[in-house]
Parts: sequence; structure tokens; C-alpha cells
Amino acid sequence: MKNSTKPAPNANPVIRLLGLGEAGVKLVETLAMIGPGGIETYSLDTDNRSLARCHQSQAFLLGQAIPCGLGTGGDSALARAAVESDSEQLAGIVRGADLVFIVAGMGGGTGTGAASFLANLAKEAGALVVGVAATPFDCEGIRRCNQASGGVRDLKQVADAVFHFPNQNVVLMEGANVSLHEALDIANRHLCEAVLGVSRMLLDSGMLNVSFGDLQAALRGRHSLGSVVHVDASGDDRAAAAVRKLLTHPAALGGEALQEASTLLVHLSGENITMAEIVAVTDAIGSHVTKANLVVGASEPGSDGAGLQVTVVIAHTAKLAEPGQEQAKVHPDQTGQASGLGFSGSFSVPDTGSYLDLGKGAGGTSRGSFAYTPPAPTADALTPECREDLIRVAAKEETNRKKRQKIVQEMLPLEIVSKGRFEKSEPTIHQGEDLDQPTYIRRGAVLN
Amino acid sequence: MSNSQIIVGLEIGTSKVCVAVGEVSENQVVNIIGLGQAKSRGVRKGEIIDVALAEEDVRNAIVEAEQVADVEIRSVFLGVTGSHIRGFNNTGVHPVVSADREITTSDIQDVIKNAKAINLPTDHSVVHVIRQHFRVDGQDGVLNPEGMLGAKIEVDVHVVSGRYNRLQNPIRLVNGLHLEVDNISSCALASSLAILSPEQKELGTLVIDLGAGVTEYAVYSAGVIKHTGVLAVGGDHVSNDLAYGLKVPLARAEQLKIDHGSAVIDPEAGDREIDLSNDSLIPGRQVNLGHMQKIMSMRLQETFELIARDIGQAGLIEYLRAGVVLCGGGARIPHITRLAREVFNLPVAIGRASTVSGIKNALDEPEFATPVGLIKFGVFQSQANPRRAGFGRAIRRQVAALFGR
Ligand SMILES: Nc1nc2c(ncn2[C@@H]2O[C@H](COP(=O)(O)OP(=O)(O)O)[C@@H](O)[C@H]2O)c(=O)[nH]1
Ligand SMILES: Nc1ncnc2c1ncn2[C@@H]1O[C@H](COP(=O)(O)OP(=O)(O)O)[C@@H](O)[C@H]1O
Ligand SMILES: [Mg+2]
Ligand SMILES: [Mg+2]
Repeated sequence: MKNSTKPAPNANPVIRLLGLGEAGVKLVETLAMIGPGGIETYSLDTDNRSLARCHQSQAFLLGQAIPCGLGTGGDSALARAAVESDSEQLAGIVRGADLVFIVAGMGGGTGTGAASFLANLAKEAGALVVGVAATPFDCEGIRRCNQASGGVRDLKQVADAVFHFPNQNVVLMEGANVSLHEALDIANRHLCEAVLGVSRMLLDSGMLNVSFGDLQAALRGRHSLGSVVHVDASGDDRAAAAVRKLLTHPAALGGEALQEASTLLVHLSGENITMAEIVAVTDAIGSHVTKANLVVGASEPGSDGAGLQVTVVIAHTAKLAEPGQEQAKVHPDQTGQASGLGFSGSFSVPDTGSYLDLGKGAGGTSRGSFAYTPPAPTADALTPECREDLIRVAAKEETNRKKRQKIVQEMLPLEIVSKGRFEKSEPTIHQGEDLDQPTYIRRGAVLN
Repeated sequence: MSNSQIIVGLEIGTSKVCVAVGEVSENQVVNIIGLGQAKSRGVRKGEIIDVALAEEDVRNAIVEAEQVADVEIRSVFLGVTGSHIRGFNNTGVHPVVSADREITTSDIQDVIKNAKAINLPTDHSVVHVIRQHFRVDGQDGVLNPEGMLGAKIEVDVHVVSGRYNRLQNPIRLVNGLHLEVDNISSCALASSLAILSPEQKELGTLVIDLGAGVTEYAVYSAGVIKHTGVLAVGGDHVSNDLAYGLKVPLARAEQLKIDHGSAVIDPEAGDREIDLSNDSLIPGRQVNLGHMQKIMSMRLQETFELIARDIGQAGLIEYLRAGVVLCGGGARIPHITRLAREVFNLPVAIGRASTVSGIKNALDEPEFATPVGLIKFGVFQSQANPRRAGFGRAIRRQVAALFGR
């Protein structure tokens, strides 16, 4: 870190929050209002109209010369050029930060094109860089989805970690009848929680503090892609209810995501949290974990009633396949039911000295450096209630299966196949289309 | 012999690292005297992703070339590629100031200087500025305006640029092996230098180098380069698509592609199956030949279509009177010329390094176009820049031995 701004040992880390593009600006505005104090917030966009709405954060117009406040019209190359031309001032914004969040909706122009450049500036300034990205609803079209997945990959290549929330998850959780407005609200809540969960861990003085050093050790240089699961529950059995919601959350993939994670940051927040509740939550998570480093923090909320809020940050570190290891590459079966993590080899995180380090003691077997065969969804590992919940979620889905099927079949496997050979290289995005993904799939050919 | 010069071309490709050693006689005839090759393990999409592996592969290829050619290589002309490379045209304008309006050498230098003043993003740097044609008072196609009368002189140039850091990566790697880089050249330009005859450049030709990680192309017309481009899609994508679609490991897909691949769908293939029952990795499996051809042809067709679209947008299709020439490993795919002919609606041929002599291997195989072309690039450079001594600083071992090095 920088010697001049090096914080005193117990001073809080300098956290900056940068919202990029329309979605990013909206999120940062919200976070500036509800987030813990002491986080500096910035809104950056190529579009004057979006910046006009920001009152809480500092606004910065990208690309004064071009596109001079008119937005990019979805052209990520234009956004890239805009941030490049502003790189000096932007470097000033990230200078001196310990942790920089870059929040953006992927799939449009500004967020997609500019996020990785900004992340790079922040990295160069020595910060730990965490991306928080929303990706489009399926109904926004395959082109946008492709552009978004390229943007996420670009960002991941630079940032230490990217937490990713597909807006489509809301449809999976709430059913297709949810209004667009509601859906965005829900998505935004999850995205905000990614930032809040991490900041609370670092800033709240709670019962279990997680230090910036812990976070750094878990994330720095790992380029992990992760997701954030945020649930809340109240009532007598709030811990059990939270666990159930957690495991049925789409991003948890019925616990599978936990299984393959390399790092899990778990944060509990609520009034009068009992030791038993912490143990109930961490045990339930721990039982799904095979190799992750589990970092746990807990704090009392400022206001939030009697509920228990659990935020789990799940990070995967996909290692590049060793030459020869590629041969064992796993392909998804016909149902498209497969894990995108086929390349995560054995991987151990150094002991971070966090308060609870359950990853090792949880009786999980560490995987060898052999490719991972996706197990059937681990239904019998779930409690009966969980299974019911899963079935219910699936049933809700059924109604609009027909419509969605095509996109699902195209999208899910694509994410997976493109990783192996091209993992470490820049994705080939051509006019919004991810050319790393098989042509025959993008063009909808069927092999019968 | 004593006045001949050794020039070395190095391509750090995605599938192979290749070193070509050329002996250039006094009258600029190039004779290929050695080739060195190594399987490339540290490169994806034309760019280095694993320095240690790439370094080892480059070293091995250099050592092999040194042995075959019996020279000691001290410097190379290096091919650069990758998705960050851009090609575009620029124009320089200059008012002729002398009272008599006669264009002088200094006017020509000035107009070229103006054409070189390009507004690049800060992290980009120029790889080439290639002169196309001059215009004098709007009169097009002037090759040499010196001595002409006019008030305004313009020059069109083709500029190739790339990201500074990403250009530096291979250069740094080569320097790390105690080799100098004489100059860098875009691989597309190099390949075209190796395989196009002056007539083809004059009539108008599109060269496509189908590599493993990238597909590069260049358009010539009226004797000059008009357009270049790089698509970060190549043979690896074909193999990856096959691995995915046929559900076989990537290495197996690569082998299937080479053994049974085709750029077009053969209706005969229909439901024929390729038996993989002797395969130790995936015993007892069959692969449907029809599926395989479909997956391949769709990828290759798309690649050609993307190029055709780009060239169409540049308004150059009708200038391609000598058609399309293919090179790179992908040019070996059966029926690839037929597919290209269908997409471009132009005659298509496979390129040979016809403009040099020497080791037959190097000239007949389409994947050696780039390293051989780099030698030709070196020859042009040393002609244009004769004072810069030490081009292609390789010396004959015997000579070295004589002087007790
Ligand atoms: N979760 C969430 N996603 C959004 C929101 N607004 C837009 N998005 C998503 O973000 C993507 C990019 O849109 P936008 O941010 O407008 O693009 P940009 O301004 O050009 O970067 C869209 O495709 C949407 O899927 C929002 O308020 N919340
Ligand atoms: N007979 C063949 N059939 C199909 N593809 C081939 C054949 N021979 C070589 N290739 C492909 O050509 C590519 C290598 O071409 P090359 O020009 O050597 O690439 P690079 O310059 O990127 O190293 C590989 O993807 C390889 O699979
Ligand atoms: Mg916008
Ligand atoms: Mg090549």
C-alpha cells in the first residue's frame, strides 16, 4: 500500500464506490443513501441524463469530448474511448483507496466498455478491486446477454473479484409475473447487499470483525467470479429459515455453488444474534463446502428490526487448465445441467487467521486437480422443506418454460464451454456477440 | 557469399513458434536456409499468456533454426498479432509553398510527416505507416509527385497500431533471450509479403491467414496495402466448438478435425460415424461425421462472413480482381477454398511462398507464410534503411569460428 496514506493499524480502510453507467449510477445513489458512512461514492456515466439524477454521490461525466454527455447508445467501444480519454482524472478518483468497488450493469455501453479500464486504474493505484455486476434479463435478448458476459469476463480479468448477479435470477425467484419495476428493485437489493455485506464486515464493529487483511488474503489477485446471496428471515426459527432461503436461492444452485467455492464470506446481521444462530448458519454452509476458505463476520444492525440478515459472498477461482488437463474437460449433459467450474483444480487458500475458519474442519474432501464432474443436484443433502422450496421454484418456472427454453439452452452451456481454452485471454466480442462461443449454438443449429 | 546477409523471421504463433532463417544475396534474392519450430504452449489468440512456457518454446525454435541453418542468431524480425491490432487509413495534407509550385523532396517529407501525425489513444502505438498513393491538387494515384507542379499535395497511408503494452510483451520476451528485435511487423502484412506476386498486389487480392488463435487479413489493390484486420478467432475455436458439440476432450477434437475435418458439409457424410472405440481416453464412442462437418463449416463460414462484411464496409470487394488467397494452418482444411469461394464469390487459391527460394518445406506449407514473410519484410526494411547496420544480425558459424568467437 501507499506509505503516505497508509492507515494507522486500527483505522478503517479507505473504501470508494464507483457506479458506472445507468445501472451503476442508480445503485451507487442508493448505496450512498443507505450505506454505512465513511464510504466515498462516485457516479460515472457518459450520459448527462443519468448523472442529473444523482444527488448523493459525486457525479463525473465520462468523455466530455465524445460522446459529450449523450451516452453511448450501447457502444462499448465508445465508452472505452471515453474513459481512456479521462484516465488522468479517473486515476485521481481511485488514488489512495484501499478497496474500490466498481458497480455496473453489464450489457449496455458504458458499464460494459468502461468497467475493466476503471478496474485497471484502481489496481494500478494499489487498491483491492471488487466488481459488482448486474447482467441482463434473458428477455433483453441474446446479443445484450453476450455483450454482458463479455463485459463480466473483461472485468474479471482485471479485478480481484467480481460479484455477479444475473437479473434473471429475480424471475427465477419471484416468477414471471413480477413487474419490471419490482424485479429491478429486487435485483438492486441483492447487488447492494454485495457491497453492504462486504463493507459492513469491514466497518461495523460487531461481534465478529473481519479485517481488511482477511478480505485481501481471500481475494487479492484471484480474479474470482462470484455471486452474492442475501437473505433475511424473522420469527422464532429465523436462523433455520435463513438457511433454507439461502440454499434455495438461485445463485446457490442448491448448495452446489457453495461446494465449488474457493472463498466464502459470510456475514450475519441482526439484533441479539445468538451464538446458536451463528453456529446454525455457518454449520449449514460448512456442510456444503468442500474446499472453501470460510470467513465469517457478524454485527448488530443500526435499525433493521428483529430480522436476521445473512449475506454470503461466494467466490470461485477458476484456474487455467494445465495442458493435458484439458483432455479431461467435462461437457454438460443434454439438460444443460452442468457446472461452469469444471476447471477449478485443487486450491488452498492460506489461512487468513479469521475468527472461524470452518473450511478445513468441516469434513469436506479436498478435490484433486482433476476435472470436476457435475453431480446431480444434491437433492438428498437437502432437508425436506428445502426440496419442497426447490420444487416450488421449479414449478413457478414451468409456466414460461416454453418461451424461455431456447435462451436457456443457448445461454447456460455457452458460459461454460468458452472458458477452458480461452479462459486467460480476452474474450472475442464482435459487435456484441461473443465469438468464443460455438457458432452452431449462437446460430441455433440443432444436431439431431 | 561474403556480401550476403542473414535475416531471421520469428512468429510466436498460437499453435507453433516458428523461426525462418533467410540468406539474402546482394541482389536481394532470398533463400531460406533454415527453419526451427516448437509447439507453442504459452500463447492464446496470438498473445502470450504464459511467459515461462512461451520463452522455452521460442528458445527451442531458435536453437533448432540455428542448428539447421548453421548460423548464430542475434536478432530477429518479430511478427505481432492479437485482437488489439488495428488497421486504418489516414491522409496527410501539405500546401506546396515554393513560389514556382514545384513539389520538392521536402514537401514530400512534410506531407508524410503530416500523415503520420495520428491521434491514437494514449496506450496505443504505431506499428506501421505504409504509404499508399499521393494526390496532387486532387489528382489521384500519383506514385511519385517529386517535380510535379501543384498547390496542394496529399498522401494516403495505411496505419497499423496496437496497444503499447501488448506489443511490448513479445518484444520483452525475445529480449529476455538475449536476442534483439530488428523490427516488428504485423503478421498479416508479413504473410502477404511472402505469398503475393506483384501482379496480385496490382490487380487486387485479399490474403487471409487462418491461424490457430487469430485470423488475419490484408487487402492489396493497385500495388499497395489498402486494409488490414485481425479477428481473434481461429482453429482453436473450430476445435473448441467440436469438443463442445461432439462431447469429446479438446485434444481429441483437434485430432478429429485434422483427420476427418471438412470446411463444407458433404451430403454423403450423412449419418456416417467415426469409431473412437480404440480411443484410450473415451473408448467405445462414436462421433457423427455429419455433425462434425456442420459444426466446422458453420464456424469457418462465419469467420469468412465477418471478413467479407468488414471488407465490404471498406468498399473493397470489387477491387479484388485477383481473388482471395488463403494461408496459415487453416488453409489445409479440406474444401476450405470451396467454402471461401461461396462466401466471397471470388476465385480462391492457397498461397505459396513463391517469391523466395530455398527449403522446399518452408515454401509449400501455408503455415510458414508469416515467418518467411518476416524475412521479406526485413529485406524491405534494410533496403529502405541501409544505414542501419546489423539487420538480421546472425552470423555464419564458420565465420564466427574463424574469428574465435
Ligand atoms: N439490477 C439492475 N440492472 C439494471 C438496472 N438498469 C439497467 N440494468 C441492467 O444493466 C444493463 C446495462 O444497462 P445500462 O446500465 O443502462 O447501460 P449503460 O448505461 O450503457 O452502461 C441492462 O441490460 C440491464 O439488464 C437497474 O436499475 N438494476
Ligand atoms: N489439416 C488440417 N486440418 C484442419 N486444421 C488444420 C490442419 N492443419 C493445421 N490446422 C490448424 O491450423 C492451425 C495452426 O495454424 P498456424 O498457421 O500454424 O497457426 P499459428 O500461426 O496461430 O500458430 C491450428 O488450429 C490447426 O488445428
Ligand atoms: Mg446508458
Ligand atoms: Mg500465424
